[in-house]
This record gives sequence, structure tokens and C-alpha cells, in this order.
Amino acid sequence: MSAALLVEVLRHPAGAARLNAVGWNGLLAAAKAERLTGALAFRLEGQPVPGAAGPVLADARADAAREAQQALWEADRAAAALHGSGVRPVLLKGAAYVAARLAAGQGRFIGDLDILVPRDALDDVEARLMAAGWEWAKPDPYDDAYYRRWMHELPPMIHAERDRMIDVHHTILPLTARPTPDAAALIADAVDIGGGLSVLSPEDRVVHAVAHLLADGDLQGGLRNLWDIHCLLADVDPARLEARAVRHGLLAHVRQARRLAAGLYGAGSRLTPWDRIIVARFLARDGWGRETRKALVFAFYLRSHWLRMPPLMLARHLWTKWRKGHRPA
Amino acid sequence: MRHALTLRIGPATFRIGSAWRAPLAQIAHLYAAYPRVEGAIADFTVRLQPTNMLRRWVRPSIFITGDHGLADAAPMSLAHGLLAAEMGMNLQMALGWRRHLLLHASSVEKDGRALVMTGESGSGKSTLAALLGERGWRLMGDEFALLDLECGAILPFPRLVSLKNGAIDVVADAVGEARMGPLLRATAKGDIRHMIPRDGAVSRMDEGATPRLLLFPRFGHRAEERAVGQGEVFMRLTQASTNYVAAGEAGFRALTRFVADVPARAVDFSSGDEAIAMVERLWDERA
Amino acid sequence: MQQGFGTVDAQKTYRRDPADRVTPCTLEDLTLLYHHASGQTHMVISPVPELLACMADGVAMTAGDLHDCLARDYDLGPRDAAEAEIAAHLDALASLGLVRPA
Repeated sequence: MSAALLVEVLRHPAGAARLNAVGWNGLLAAAKAERLTGALAFRLEGQPVPGAAGPVLADARADAAREAQQALWEADRAAAALHGSGVRPVLLKGAAYVAARLAAGQGRFIGDLDILVPRDALDDVEARLMAAGWEWAKPDPYDDAYYRRWMHELPPMIHAERDRMIDVHHTILPLTARPTPDAAALIADAVDIGGGLSVLSPEDRVVHAVAHLLADGDLQGGLRNLWDIHCLLADVDPARLEARAVRHGLLAHVRQARRLAAGLYGAGSRLTPWDRIIVARFLARDGWGRETRKALVFAFYLRSHWLRMPPLMLARHLWTKWRKGHRPA
Repeated sequence: MRHALTLRIGPATFRIGSAWRAPLAQIAHLYAAYPRVEGAIADFTVRLQPTNMLRRWVRPSIFITGDHGLADAAPMSLAHGLLAAEMGMNLQMALGWRRHLLLHASSVEKDGRALVMTGESGSGKSTLAALLGERGWRLMGDEFALLDLECGAILPFPRLVSLKNGAIDVVADAVGEARMGPLLRATAKGDIRHMIPRDGAVSRMDEGATPRLLLFPRFGHRAEERAVGQGEVFMRLTQASTNYVAAGEAGFRALTRFVADVPARAVDFSSGDEAIAMVERLWDERA
Repeated sequence: MQQGFGTVDAQKTYRRDPADRVTPCTLEDLTLLYHHASGQTHMVISPVPELLACMADGVAMTAGDLHDCLARDYDLGPRDAAEAEIAAHLDALASLGLVRPA
């Protein structure tokens, strides 16, 4: 299982010296599939690597640097669009890690720009972004109604000229999810980083990453999200983190994420049977970068929707999705 | 995966895995003269996998993916497995190659200087490169030309030449059956047949050349030639490059240098012989 | 680059931030600007390179200030029309992020 190998090398980079070519091919394929190539390349800096692996890792570092640059630019553009509105957007996930120069940002794959704004400012934010050149990415009335009614974000927008997506959140979990994080507290305690932008407090960064991983997701990209959490945990005080997790109704999730992060990337921890199932889901990736354990992966896809929606809504949503030809990847 | 092989083309190494034997057997046959690098650490992994479990046997259909893939890529019939493998490699290059500026262009070399030809599919750039490769030029590639980010040289990527429809017979007549792959009928792009480049194209595939002339060929028009302004050349080359944005400032510097240094002409032609005469004349005028 | 001419304001001030630097390259009558912060390449013609050159030291300027700067080297014709055109260019450059409202 090459995902296990990837985890092992992220934990102990020196261990890469023992890999043969088959091992390296599996490691690189898993890292690419999990979007962890950049993080792997940073972890392996200074380690001896075979000649043929060096350029692949150098490419990954250069890609990460460019993505960081572009993410900062998108953040700058969003700040410029919202200048004068009284809203100071809170950067989330990759852009936040890069903007705040966190270890979690090193080599991180960054796709869309995610920002958090107060819910009562949504209409104004939407109008200002549209005026600055963003437009709706998917003109699908079902998806649009679904987003506005049930989700924690506006439907995705894309900038007409730069072709980059922005997700505007007003909280960090869908409104249908059982835990209801305190969005006002997230925004109130955000840290100003200049340029009209802010990031979540260190504890809230962990809580958000955990919410994204365990309470919301189907664990797609789970190894990457857990790597974020592992890196973010280095900046927080455990007692303050617990208090914050209680406030957002995510204490059990935060504790579980700490066990998983320590178990996979850290010094080890005692895993519960449910933790072990999640680990099996995380590590379902073979030496060609293919997802294995299809039944387990599908079970988590269903579960992710179950967590967010009452059963009847779930049936309706999946039916609508499937008729449109969507399948879990 | 069940079947696998590792292949090097120019600077890039591909590990190709397949759920079926046939596509890789064809690849192994057609790439027999290329360096065999079984067991090497590859730059890219390509996977030819069933669209679902049943599709391995029942009306088999291939989903092309790998390190880089397109979620909405249309599946292909197993009868077109060779094309699927080629497309899988092209996909990795187009989406993942970072060590050169990648231009969607064919290129040929003479006396250490390169002629680069770029245009849409159907422009005739592949056919022209294939024919020139049989007439005293060295074929460097029919699909991708690699522009070195530091020294400005064009580097070869001499994969099999992919010929479509009317071009198939023209080239098959020129090179002979022994160097032609199987005819793939009724693919999404019509009939396709692959051609094995000459020995020199493969044995010298690590040898670059200084670009000296850029052409925008257009097949199917009355013979005509015109100069192309540098601004238009720059625009067209950024559109012909899949990694211009990813290459950042280095890409900007390499491409502006190429545009400033290399004269460009648009050439229309209605037959291969006409095109070759135009190319040779333009080349000699630059001598 | 076609922001509405109706919205421009000749009194608005703009400046170039060191973070907004560009690498220029001239190809015949065009200038290409590689913008480091965004990774975008912009293709511009006169008077845009000249406007940016006037703003090179980072001082905040209005369309009127820029008119004075350009008028030293170029014949700009009637002042009102030239200033309105400069203001429109500034607005378009701001939307690209090449200059910022001061």
C-alpha cells in the first residue's frame, strides 16, 4: 500500500533512503494522487534522493511556490474588491496557511480561494465580487438553490478573466450538519495579517481543518487534510484548543483528529476501532496511485452526506446527482 | 497493475500500467528502438483502467488517467488501446511537464538548427514534420517541442508520429509498411495510424538545436506566405503552450526571447510537395 | 481593459506598490509586462508603459499629475480629453492590479 509508504516518509523523511525504484514510484504516485507532492518535496529537502526522483521533487516545489503566489494574489484581489465595505475577509485553508507563513503552507496544494465573511454581509460581498469580475461557476438552478438553502457557502464563483475560483463561506459547516460552529466567534477572534485580510486564530484553524476533515468530508483527500492538522497542531495550546472545540461543538472530532494525526504523522497514539476504520479509508491507495477498497470508500461517501442531511433530503439529493451522471470518483 | 512497461521519450520517463495486455504489446513493438528503462523511477505514471469492473471484459472500455487526468475524459474502445496509451502520455506531458516550455508544435532539425511548426490539429504540422524527416531533416517531434528555459534551445520529444485520415497514405507511401503501426479506424478524430520515426530521430533524442525559423502551416488553402508580427506570434505561442503560466517568469523570458530571435511566417499550402518546396525555400532564404 | 469611461474620476489618486512590479519586454510596437504578483502577462501599447514609468517611484498620482508628467515628453492634445483618457487607463490598470487606488 503506497499511501502507507507516503505517511511513513512524511513522518520519517530519512527512511526514504531505503526505498528502491518500485518504492519511489509508489511513493510519488501516492503523493500525486493525495496532492501531497509539494509537502513531500519539502520534507525531503536535504535528504539524499535518487537522481531520477530529484527533478520530480523540484518540479513539485516550484509548482507549490507558484500556487502560493497565485493564492496570495487572489486573496489580494478579493481584499481589493471588498475594500470600503467594512468586511475584512478571513482567509481559510491553503491561502491562509501561505499568507500567515505557517508550516502547513509549505508545499501545500492550493486550489480555490476560500474566504469567511459574516452571514449578514453575504449579499453585499456577493455584489462587490460580481462588480469586480467574478461570476457564477455553475448556472444550475438545482445546485444554486441547494447551496443557498443548505450550505455554508455561496455557490462557487469564478473570475471571468483570471479563471480562478472563490468560495465565500459564512460558517465552516453546512447548515444541515449536526455540530453548529460559532461563526461569529471565528470572525471575532480572527487575526489581522495586513492587506485588508485576516486568518483564523491558531485554535480555530485546527477546529476548521477538523470540521472539514471529519464532520463534513467523505474523507477524500483525507491524508492531505490530516497533514494540515498535524502541522497546525504545533502552533496551539492543547487546553485552549479543547475549550475552543467545546465552544464550536466539535470536541469529539478534535480529539479524534489529534489521535489520528499523532497515529499517522506523529509519535503514535491509541486508536479506537472507529479510528482504525478511518485510517483504513485514508490509506486506501495502491502503488499505481489507484484508490483501493472501493466499498469502504463508497461507504464514506454516503456517510458524508448522511452527516450533513436528514435521510429524506439525502435520498432526494443523491437521486438528483445521479440522474445528472455524477458518481463518487 | 496487471501489465506494465516503462519507456523514455526525450527527457521524460513514463511508467504505463494497463488492465489489458494488447495496448502495451503494441507500444512495446512500436517503441522497440527506444531506451528500455524497466524498473526506473518514472516522471509520470499512466494508467489504462476499466471504466468499471465489468468493463474489463464486457465491451471493454478504457479510462485514461494517471498522475494527471481529466475527470470527464471520454472512455475509449479497447480496439483503440494503442491510441489510449499515447493519449495517456500526452496528457501527462501537457498537464505535468515543467522542465521546459512545452509548445504544441512539431519540429525538425538540420545542421544543428531547428524549424518549429505550430498550428491546430489538422494544420498539417505532423505530416509536414514526418515528410521532412524522410528528406534529409531529423524529426524532433510531431506534437510537442520543448523550449529550454535557460539556453533557448529546442529539445526533441520524438514519440510516434500520429497521422490522421488523408495523411496516412501519403506518409505510409514515403516510409514503407515496416515503420507503420496498425490502422485505428473510426476514433474520435477519424482514422489514425502511427509512424515510427527513423533511427536517427530516436538515437539523437537527447540532442537539442537552436531555433531558426517558426512556421504557422495551414493545409487546405491556396499556396501563400505572409510575415507574422511579433505580438501575434507571442499570443499564438502562449495559446499553443500548456505550461506557459506554470513556467512563470522563466517561461516569459524564454518565450519573449524566442519570439524576438526567431523569424516567423504563416504558410498556406494544398499539398505535401508544395509545402516542402515552400519550407526549403524559406529555410534557404534564412541561410 | 474596458472599464466604463463613465465611472472615472480625474481626482482619484493611484500608486504603484513595490509588490506590484513588472518585468517589461518590447516586441515591435507592443510592450509585454510580466506581473510577478499574479503571474499574468499583459500586452499593452502606448501610453501605458509611459504611464507606468511616470509612476515608477511609488508616489501617489492623479490623472492630472500624470498628464503633467507625460506632457514633458509628448504632445497630448487638448488637456481635458487627454486627462479623461489617462483616468480611464488608470481605472483599467487598477482592475488588473498593476496600480492601486492610493
